[in-house]
Amino acid sequence: MIDSQQASEALADIDDIARRVRQSRIYNLASLLMILWGALVFAANVAAFALPRYAGYIWIAVNVVGIVGSFVVSAFTHSRTGVRTFDLRTLMAFLLFFAFGLVTCVLAHFGPRELSVFWAIYFMLFYTIAGLWVGFAFVVIGVGISALTLIGYFLAGNWFEPWMAVVNGGGLILGGLWMRRV
Amino acid sequence: MAELDDIIHQPLRLRIMAALNALPSGTGLDFPRLKKLTGATDGNLGAHIETLSKAGYVAVEKAFVGKKPQTTVTATAVGRGAFARHVAMLQEIIAARPSE
Repeated sequence: MIDSQQASEALADIDDIARRVRQSRIYNLASLLMILWGALVFAANVAAFALPRYAGYIWIAVNVVGIVGSFVVSAFTHSRTGVRTFDLRTLMAFLLFFAFGLVTCVLAHFGPRELSVFWAIYFMLFYTIAGLWVGFAFVVIGVGISALTLIGYFLAGNWFEPWMAVVNGGGLILGGLWMRRV
Repeated sequence: MAELDDIIHQPLRLRIMAALNALPSGTGLDFPRLKKLTGATDGNLGAHIETLSKAGYVAVEKAFVGKKPQTTVTATAVGRGAFARHVAMLQEIIAARPSE
């Protein structure tokens, strides 16, 4: 028989493992979504740089493809693991988050460059705050991409979109790949 | 008072069962992920999974994903029940004899 101290240690061990399993499952899905959005953001920034007149349409299309793609990734994860992760509540949260950002943009009268910075940092803020609960990797990715975005805003000059393609799109892809290894 | 489950009580087997029990029923973990989560070595993990499998606590499924062999370990209903009873026993020990 064991004493209460050993029993407490065993229960703490169980809690720790359960927490790591939950984190691993979140990282698994989040990394796939990050790679998807990273590829889309990379493509959108390159396209907006090449065709600045169509930038608005490009970003609308990217957001639609991203949302549909997120559902597809979630369904794929669901079929493999039996875990549903992108449900109606998640969609509502995303839409509310997006609507708040949209209202802010309308009220603030941002220029194209400020719009790019705002959306990048706004999404990274979400990552960073979520990371405080679900895992350190989100905080690193969120803060890192936000800092590089701001550096680009002040220093990238005419190469801002390519900078954002690499930093924001590429950063999300690399972050997603890194998350799968953490 | 009931006894602790000797098969689950071993520290690495306890971690394996805790990891599998944290998943939804019928969902498993592949060998590399289980190894990472429990901090075990290949040989050690394999041996303890074998013990749990013989007791009927886990199911081991080997398949090929592409050309790579993949081993997936899943907690059975019997294993989940045994784990729940083991955890209840641990809580009972703490409640009965609080540490000073």
